[in-house]
Amino acid sequence: MTRVLGWLAVCALIMGLVADFGWAPREMTQGNVQRIMYLHVPSILTAYLAFALVLLGSVAYLLSRRASWDHLAASAAEIGVLFTAITIVSGSIWGRPTWGVWWTWDARLTSTAVLLLVYVGYLLLRAMVDEPEARARYAAVVGILGAANIPIVHFSVYWWRALHQPAAMLGPGRAPMPGWMKAVVLVNWIAFTLLFAYFVSRRMQIARLEEQA
Amino acid sequence: MPYTRRALAVLWKDLLTERRSKESLNALLFFSLLLLFIFQFALGPDRDRIRVALPGLLWLGLILAGLLGLGRTFVVERDNDCWEGLRLTPGDKSAIYLGKLLGNFTLMLVVEMLLLASFGLFYDVALGPALASLCIVLLLGTVGLAAVGTLFGAMTAQLRARELLFPVLLLPAQVPILLATVSLTEAALLGQPLGEVSHWLKLLAGADVVYVVIGVMTFEFILDA
Amino acid sequence: MNPMPDHWNYVLAAYGLAAIGVIGYWRYLAARARALSQSRRGTGRRA
Repeated sequence: MTRVLGWLAVCALIMGLVADFGWAPREMTQGNVQRIMYLHVPSILTAYLAFALVLLGSVAYLLSRRASWDHLAASAAEIGVLFTAITIVSGSIWGRPTWGVWWTWDARLTSTAVLLLVYVGYLLLRAMVDEPEARARYAAVVGILGAANIPIVHFSVYWWRALHQPAAMLGPGRAPMPGWMKAVVLVNWIAFTLLFAYFVSRRMQIARLEEQA
Repeated sequence: MPYTRRALAVLWKDLLTERRSKESLNALLFFSLLLLFIFQFALGPDRDRIRVALPGLLWLGLILAGLLGLGRTFVVERDNDCWEGLRLTPGDKSAIYLGKLLGNFTLMLVVEMLLLASFGLFYDVALGPALASLCIVLLLGTVGLAAVGTLFGAMTAQLRARELLFPVLLLPAQVPILLATVSLTEAALLGQPLGEVSHWLKLLAGADVVYVVIGVMTFEFILDA
Repeated sequence: MNPMPDHWNYVLAAYGLAAIGVIGYWRYLAARARALSQSRRGTGRRA
């Protein structure tokens, strides 16, 4: 199953790249730098999926005490952090030629960065607790609080910026997307989701085996 | 023992212990005074710079004090072998959480009031007209800090890496609280009526509710074995 | 209309770093799986 997912992901990713560079035309206002969006947007969408799974795994673990839920949460968190990092790095690289800066405390970037901090903390907690049962319990609690905090962080950061930032400075992807652009993002998003599924599957296998060892 | 009595029993025990030893309180109060100097030295002699940064410094000070003080209530339990006693308490363990939360809340509140008064004194800030608004913000913000701090404090008290993990876990969770309280404090000090910034108040209150509810619901899983 | 100049090196950097991240993680998983199977083979033989 994992293998199939892996190969599917590779095919989808190749198709995505073809769509990004072969099929998608050069964007009018931003030029070819805009192609980074085909990486950035699917990446953050996949990260959200990952963290939703962390929440699911955390709650399910506390209710059922079955280790496989903890494996899901741990795996999803790891891969979610990877995709969040890709989101931030690609966003920053896009921002440099577009806005002139590597970083700006705009609402989107800031709350994505906080998201990264929350789940890196989650992973650090897991790394520092040796006993598997305690680790699963603590991680679940942190996972639940972290997830509940996400909408609160979003609002607070957005309002924080609304005071200080002119409305003209929109986050990447804020402008309405034409249909063909949405199609390319969709193709990449499917590819990323398949890649995510493959990684989660593989990572969960490893977690299962490690637990038995 | 009914629920509220259990919670209050924990609170009373902590308050009594604290009143007798005054360990945490004295050290935290002194720490807050030290922060006053540190902030002044870090920001330089320009009075206006401090005044502009004041709302942020106030809450920065409270968070730093919280990082030091919030984990302690559970470490004390572990050091004195009371942990097993807590774990074996019959009934709903969340009563312990609420008791500890109230204790921590009180502790942080005392520290914050000292900080506020000292800021007014040392940085020459007129607090009078804004006092009522400031108190409301103070109360709401401290609930949020204490709620998450008590939960994570209980968790990290059992770990060898607690000094590292507690701040690492607490700070990202405090981001919305910090943003809200600083904005509200800023507005209060500028003389704005809180009604104008009610969206921040609602966010703060909402966050407080979420954190306390999660704390109440998940605390037993931290005590478990 | 003055279109923005192309910044292919930025595009390359973004995609390149993402690829490094993904491939790096894949290799990390492979290494961990390998370490697991080696240790299992070891204990299996002993048992």
